[in-house]
Amino acid sequence: MRIFWVLLKKELRAFFVSPMAYIVLALVMVLNGFCLRAALSVLERGPSEGSIVTWTFHAMWFWLSYFFIFPLLTMRLFAEEKKMGTLETLFTAPVRTWQVVWSKYAASVLLYCLLWTPSALNFALVDWITAGQVEMPAGALKGSYLILFVMGLFNLAIGCFASSLTSNQIIAAVVSFTMSLLHFLGGLFISVIGRQVSESFVDIIHYIASTEHIRIFTNGLIDTRPLVYYTSFALLFLALTHQVVESRRWKP
Amino acid sequence: MIQVQHLTKQYAGRMAVDDVTFEVEPGQIVGFLGPNGAGKSTTMRILSGYMPPTSGRARVNGHDVFHESLAVRRSVGYMPETAPLYTEMRVKEYLRFRAELKGLAGQAMRRRVGEVMDLCSVTDARRRLIGNLSKGYRQRVALADALLHEPPLLILDEPSNGLDPVQIRQVRELLRGLRPKHTILLSTHILPEVESLCDRVVMIHHGRLLADDTPENLARRLRTLTEVHAELRGSGEMTAALEALPGVRKASAEEAGDGWQRLVLRVEPRQDVREAVMALASERGWQVRELHRRLPGLEEVFVELASAESPGVF
Ligand SMILES: Nc1ncnc2c1ncn2[C@@H]1O[C@H](COP(=O)(O)OP(=O)(O)OP(=O)(O)O)[C@@H](O)[C@H]1O
Ligand SMILES: [Mg+2]
Repeated sequence: MRIFWVLLKKELRAFFVSPMAYIVLALVMVLNGFCLRAALSVLERGPSEGSIVTWTFHAMWFWLSYFFIFPLLTMRLFAEEKKMGTLETLFTAPVRTWQVVWSKYAASVLLYCLLWTPSALNFALVDWITAGQVEMPAGALKGSYLILFVMGLFNLAIGCFASSLTSNQIIAAVVSFTMSLLHFLGGLFISVIGRQVSESFVDIIHYIASTEHIRIFTNGLIDTRPLVYYTSFALLFLALTHQVVESRRWKP
Repeated sequence: MIQVQHLTKQYAGRMAVDDVTFEVEPGQIVGFLGPNGAGKSTTMRILSGYMPPTSGRARVNGHDVFHESLAVRRSVGYMPETAPLYTEMRVKEYLRFRAELKGLAGQAMRRRVGEVMDLCSVTDARRRLIGNLSKGYRQRVALADALLHEPPLLILDEPSNGLDPVQIRQVRELLRGLRPKHTILLSTHILPEVESLCDRVVMIHHGRLLADDTPENLARRLRTLTEVHAELRGSGEMTAALEALPGVRKASAEEAGDGWQRLVLRVEPRQDVREAVMALASERGWQVRELHRRLPGLEEVFVELASAESPGVF
């Protein structure tokens, strides 16, 4: 476990000495601002069924920015070490593969969480400026950040996996972006078409359609199905990453 | 310390190491030689627990490299060929990180990092970014890393690659100083280094073991001709007279100014013709100002072994 912390510390440092962390942070802050602006303009038009929280995470801006976060956070994790050859130095020290995989993943998860703190501050700011006049249900906030967290776990695991496949960061980024986006579009497609085709699709929708998850959770409802779905697939992708990193030890 | 038995490694069907067997006793410094692409780095990667062999077995410090990889890695200080390092870290910071990975902590860790930085003369660069260091400095940082946890076995892949002559000598002295406590397996292309440093030489070519002996024994068993160099002054046909001596295959002469001739005699293996040359010179009344025999060194051994089409010369 000590080794894990040493590795995690190193990974976090690596994020903050490279410009990447600041670029992503700036990007997300700006887009969060746009999201909030969009939500406020919806509310200005008169009474609506969702709260400011719902509309913030439903803004087009949100999805536009969302899938860029993951490749940016994860592309260098393994690809850079492969390229520089430092994986060889790393794995000739007494470290276990899981310690390496999990420390890299944990670092990206921590940074991802950090990315959302400005948006939480935004809500606090709105609350403060309007002296509590904008309705901001606590359940909706909790739900929103919970679903954002587990969706993050899932997409970051995909990013880790993509990065372990190649020594080229650009390829890692493209693969991770494509996989995340395909999953999202697949869910969207099923949620739009599925309902009209057959009732049996409705169940699947609840599992895989990210847009549905956001809709439900930002309204303050907590559904365990997507939580289980995202975390178990995150674990699956981490297990795959572990296998890929271990593959040099396979006998040909 | 190292037991390698029938070690074989294939890369996608291509043999990199082919049925290699050798042993290294504790406390020895062993030179691992071979032409480019011979499989030295591959063997060293296997021995340091980085990847498993395709077949065969290797034990390091009593631990199997595949089944007890972690124990092997604890007892090995490995320095990879290209000295890959995290370029965005500073030297001291990097060594501290590595020391922590290797299980050192607190005061002991800080003291040890200071020690290895002194040993490898990188203390003056401790606050610099590794990415900005010159090749030689990086090489020494990688060596410092290998020494951190005072491993009983050091596996160094071309440690003097990229160092200046002063540093090469320093590293050599450093390794010599480690000898009683540490066993060292090092690969290098600098053969005089091997001659002066190593107790034994293991040589491979095309992945196969060619030789495993002391440097002196290898040179003794060599088939190539020894050379005798002489500088003579006098009258008469020198080369013909010298070639007539028993044991001399061929003599060649060139002008060395002032009537002196520089002669190179190619002599049958394990023969010494110096006395005969001296006798001939006094008989003909030639002046002699130099006469010496050049014994074949590791370089000749290397060239002969590496150029032999079929192994099994020795
Ligand atoms: N990752 C790899 N994939 C495929 N082939 C490889 C790989 N690494 C090495 N080889 C091949 O294995 C053989 C042995 O390589 P190795 O690096 O062990 O040689 P070496 O003795 O260290 O040479 P050098 O003196 O140039 O360092 C070479 O033919 C090389 O092309
Ligand atoms: Mg090599």
